[in-house]
Amino acid sequence: MKLAVALVAALIFAALPLLTTSNYIMGIGVSALIFTVAAAALNLIYGYTGLLSFAQLGFWGIGGYVSALTVVTFGGNFWWGLVWAALINAAVALVVGYPTLRTNRHAFVIVTLTFALLVNLIARDWVDLTRGALGIPNLPPPTAFGYEFGTTGRFYWIAWAFSVAMLAFLYALCTSRIGRTLVAIKQNEPLVRAQGISPMPYKLSAFAISAAITGAAGGVFSFHLRIIDPLFLDFYYMQTFLIIVIIGGAGSFWGVVVAGIAMSALPEALRFSADFRMIIYGLILVVAMFVMPSGVAGWLRERRLARLRQELQ
Amino acid sequence: MSAILEVTDLRKAYAGVHALDGVSFAVEAGSVTGLIGPNGSGKSTAIDCISGFQKLDSGKVVLAGADITGQPAHHNARAGLMRTFQTVRVYERLPLRDNLAIAAQQFDPATWVDELLRTARYRRAVEASEKRARQLIELIGLQRYYEAEVGILSYGQKKLVALAAALMPHPKIVVLDEPVAGVNPSRIREIEVALRQLNEAGETFLIVEHNVEFITNLCHRVIVLDQGRKLAEGTAHDIHNDSRVLEAYLGTTPEIAAAEMRAQA
Repeated sequence: MKLAVALVAALIFAALPLLTTSNYIMGIGVSALIFTVAAAALNLIYGYTGLLSFAQLGFWGIGGYVSALTVVTFGGNFWWGLVWAALINAAVALVVGYPTLRTNRHAFVIVTLTFALLVNLIARDWVDLTRGALGIPNLPPPTAFGYEFGTTGRFYWIAWAFSVAMLAFLYALCTSRIGRTLVAIKQNEPLVRAQGISPMPYKLSAFAISAAITGAAGGVFSFHLRIIDPLFLDFYYMQTFLIIVIIGGAGSFWGVVVAGIAMSALPEALRFSADFRMIIYGLILVVAMFVMPSGVAGWLRERRLARLRQELQ
Repeated sequence: MSAILEVTDLRKAYAGVHALDGVSFAVEAGSVTGLIGPNGSGKSTAIDCISGFQKLDSGKVVLAGADITGQPAHHNARAGLMRTFQTVRVYERLPLRDNLAIAAQQFDPATWVDELLRTARYRRAVEASEKRARQLIELIGLQRYYEAEVGILSYGQKKLVALAAALMPHPKIVVLDEPVAGVNPSRIREIEVALRQLNEAGETFLIVEHNVEFITNLCHRVIVLDQGRKLAEGTAHDIHNDSRVLEAYLGTTPEIAAAEMRAQA
């Protein structure tokens, strides 16, 4: 049922460039799709495994820079750029994660935050590679078999195909026994160990997969913007991913996907009031957290549990 | 009968305090063995060290002929030693069925590739695990909660879930850390009956517990620890009449205790 709804929704999203000619709306569509993927990747490590990672921002930035540099400096194409963005991020996540995941969850938060800030510093200061604050403008549009994805409408297809593929992969992972084990690790790590499961490989893999997907998403987004500079590592992105996960309900796959689309569209829908839109946005967030402290999915779950309790009384 | 678990000269100190000061004992296959002692006698430290949750300073742990000394907890679980915890540990926000399935999944041969492709090996593993889960749930009487999140159960029911989970992979020995502490008295009897049935079906238990009646009813052999040392070992009857044990527990000898009782009467 959920899958059928998801399929229909995916097809409706695919049809967006046929329904509108507005670059503005399709641009929002691209952002919504890419942010949803990045948020779903954060959900894997935070919502499922219980590890709050601010490193996502760093992976996002590394992904953006790696794909841009693959094309501009190293003469590769966009597609290889995405592959490299994913691989390099997975490798970085293994190196950062292996020592960090041996500490406790609080230390993990601090280290990942520091990592994100460090990536930002590198983007600014390693001028020979990243061109510093000037950034790398004029990223060429991707091409495939001689077809150039030169307009926002055409680029939208790339974002759509990428998102559907990544979300399908994450869905398969999260609903498998591996996903269930990640939830178990989040809920009770000593019990997991007492049942013959070593948590470390699971946590490390979740972190690396999350990093690879976030990096590839960053790669796609940098080519949507057509420029990459240190602003790509603005905390705005991390905040957006985190808001999506928390509003949607950490640990709920569909909650986060729905929230990803909704929360990307919301600030735009509020543009009717240019002066107050961020204030209204903030108010909506605060009210949402008051009413549904564990997100939309958490709220639905509480209601389901209450019904169940009543039935079993 | 042969020993399934054999521990020799366990030693463990925290900041100079000897939690374990040379403890040795064995658990026979197919037996129920009790490990009792006053607070701070080293019971919990002993089973934490045996199961791999804490590192021993020295000593040796042998499980079914294999040396598992110093191995991590997940290794020992796979070797066949399952344990429960004093403060009950379950996956509160997962259904009962998943609580049991996770406990067994490390022990079946299906990999993630099998799962992805839904191979025969995966289906067989899931079927076997489901069958075992249904048996155990019937034994603990929680059939109607099979699909329900474990968080909605009472404390005593959660203890039963933890027991069932520990039994899921057909372990060689189950170590129970205070299985009836904090459980309401009517349910203690249920747990006792379930454990006896399981033992008659061949399961081996090592039980740490404060409830003397429970231990007396169930255990073939009882080991008493005091201040990190083994104070006594024998049948429940022997232990009851051991003056050293009474002194450790009550701080008095039987003669004084008897005199006090007469005085009170």
